[in-house]
Amino acid sequence: MNVSKILTQFGTVIALIILFIIFAISVPGFVESNNLINILTQIALLTIISQGFTVVLIVGELDLSFANLASLTSVMVAGLIIHGVNPTLAILICLLGGIIFGVINGTLVTRIGIPSLITTLATGIVANGFIYMYTKGVSFYSGLPQGFLYLGRGRIGPIPVLVIIMLIYLAIFHIFVNRTVIGSNLKATGGNAKAAFIAGINVKFYKVLGLAICSFSAALAGILLTARLGAANPEGAGGFLMEGFAIVLLGQTVSAIGMASPIGTFIGALIIGVLNNGLTLMGAQYYMQDIVKGIIIILAVVISSIQTKRMGV
Amino acid sequence: MERLRTEGLTKQFPGVTALNDVNFELQEGEIHALVGENGAGKSTFVKILAGIFQPSAGKIFIENSEIKFASPKDAFAYIGVVHQERELVPFYSGICNLFLGQEITSSGFLNRRAMQQKALDFMRQYNLDLDMDTPVTNLGSGMQEMITILKVLFRSPKIVIFDEPTAPLSIKETDVLFRLIKDLKSKGTSIIYITHRLPEVFQLADRVSVLRNGEKVVTANVTDIAEQELIRFMIAKDINQQYPKAILPRGDEIMKVKFHDSDIKIQIHAQEIVGFAGLVGSGRSELAKKIVQGHKSESLNITLDNKAFKPSGPKFAIDHGIVMIPEDRRGEGLVPSFNVRENLSFSHLSFLSRFGFRDEKKISERCDSIIKDLGIKVYSQFQLVNTLSGGNQQKVSLGKWLDANAKIWIFDEPTQGIDVETKVEIYRIMERLAAQGAGIWFISSDLKELISISDKIYVMYQSKIVGEFMRPFEAEEILQTMLGIKNKEISEVTV
Repeated sequence: MNVSKILTQFGTVIALIILFIIFAISVPGFVESNNLINILTQIALLTIISQGFTVVLIVGELDLSFANLASLTSVMVAGLIIHGVNPTLAILICLLGGIIFGVINGTLVTRIGIPSLITTLATGIVANGFIYMYTKGVSFYSGLPQGFLYLGRGRIGPIPVLVIIMLIYLAIFHIFVNRTVIGSNLKATGGNAKAAFIAGINVKFYKVLGLAICSFSAALAGILLTARLGAANPEGAGGFLMEGFAIVLLGQTVSAIGMASPIGTFIGALIIGVLNNGLTLMGAQYYMQDIVKGIIIILAVVISSIQTKRMGV
Repeated sequence: MERLRTEGLTKQFPGVTALNDVNFELQEGEIHALVGENGAGKSTFVKILAGIFQPSAGKIFIENSEIKFASPKDAFAYIGVVHQERELVPFYSGICNLFLGQEITSSGFLNRRAMQQKALDFMRQYNLDLDMDTPVTNLGSGMQEMITILKVLFRSPKIVIFDEPTAPLSIKETDVLFRLIKDLKSKGTSIIYITHRLPEVFQLADRVSVLRNGEKVVTANVTDIAEQELIRFMIAKDINQQYPKAILPRGDEIMKVKFHDSDIKIQIHAQEIVGFAGLVGSGRSELAKKIVQGHKSESLNITLDNKAFKPSGPKFAIDHGIVMIPEDRRGEGLVPSFNVRENLSFSHLSFLSRFGFRDEKKISERCDSIIKDLGIKVYSQFQLVNTLSGGNQQKVSLGKWLDANAKIWIFDEPTQGIDVETKVEIYRIMERLAAQGAGIWFISSDLKELISISDKIYVMYQSKIVGEFMRPFEAEEILQTMLGIKNKEISEVTV
């Protein structure tokens, strides 16, 4: 195996390790366990929401609506609880709403044939409209019960509940995508929808499923966001769109053939998390983070296009 | 005066010689027809002259000076090609397509009036009256074809190649085209005219050349050769002695397809290999796809095991024991991002799982046995399917159905682009499946292989079943039927 092969196959992981070592040496306090847990907490929501987007890419579609949907469930769960709905019920309503949202996306894509990029751009705007209809542009600050906030702020021993939820969610997705029949069918659908169709796989169903899983993840992330902040504001999850794209693209470069995968996405999130945290500790201006992130995304896409060409996929 | 000459033109692709030592010559103001079976090398020949392919050996001379085309751009100045695929921008009008890349401008803006005038003058030269203002996508295929031709002529090439130009044209449009071609000839333009329609050769051409298996077998004046002779030249000599066929006793009928208002019905029995012959575009794949993927028309009446069968999608077909190996291996038969293991398994995972979880051990064992059984050359199950040769890809594409107990196997061009040795292996697999009691539906453009391994051959022409042939096959008769020459005598059937 030559050097260029090693770099395209493991480059992303190597980059993460190098980044980690650089910060460990040059930034005091970076390797302390508190800070490491901090990094994991900071990427928890991003990882959860991006697991769904990963599945959308696996079935060969796109989703631009997930961040707006997360904002919507974030304000909805707060609003419902504040207005006296049982928190568990409120969470279930929001999760179910997320699934329905995804099924609507999927139906528009598969039955009517609108490209997912356009469909989800539009439904994302609709979601945004609902947010303002519901909140009148005002944030929800108070009145959330401790039990609910525990999801976002509690700890089991030294480990935040949020980090545990993320790790469980990641494990479920990893097993789901790689070890189940449904996961394999999702991959076949995205890998070559025509071949999958001829082989008897219900391609439309799996596309709807992929989009529904993405919306479910977004709904969950929105709920957890409110639990973490103890408040909900109309554009709370807006930043997840770009960051989600970034880490899933980064994650694609983890696999040898440039395919999205749950673990790859997690590694992408770690890179962004380590970067953000390290740069902040170094005292770098906030805009430096954006510049560095942008450059990293371009590098990631360049690498994955080289991989794709090499494999002739 | 000599316009074009090729000497020893040869083109080799990995494992295949597509064109072998072709000497061809074209005079000024000559219409030279080029005929041959599917895969005889006509397209390769055209693509070399158009600068799309580089020849592996041989020389091209234009007006007695040797010339090399490094790219299609180099060929533009000398040779205009009217390809079978249209090269128009769909939402542009005829005018915009005509001037694409060489627009007339004044002070940086498009000068529509000047372009319109120039186009009109140009059309008048050839007595043409075409709709040049409507977006071409809204025009009929005949009009689009004429605009394509006009676009080629617009560069005033001295040589024009027409690749089956009449396929999309109506009778009236064909007349216009023929008049145009004769007009070009009278102006001194040299024309290479490729066609499957032999009557056109005698109607239009001065001379005719026949390609067969990549070699030029004859050039003659059309006045010196008869249609029958032409057909004989097109058929390979060794056609009946290619591959030793094991004749099996015919089993029970598995499938029957009846068509509206017709006597010819397709019957497929157990242990039978049924060939489907026809020119490219004659509707063979479409018919097979109707069986597998479902169709809306009422013109088909299918029975499977003596019970009515109403196709409604691949899964339905598979559940009823009908599997299809599609022509486009990479596009429809395989998932290119999957390795061999996944490609062999992805259609069967419900049998290779427990409670929805993949049973990796079962998957491994099954893959190993298929790889061994079919002799697929891989270093591991985890090799990416993209890195395999065409033949091995084909084996993977069909291998996934090996233990599905299929009753009907539809093979669409299974040996296309595959080396000779692997071709024979594919034939053996087909024969083995037949021997195990399946019926084989075998679509091929290679008449030779159809004749060597089929028990029965149906011929399609313009989306109709027009002939049924039993062993021993008469190659000449089948080819005539494929070319639509003998169709009048046979009851025509709409699919």
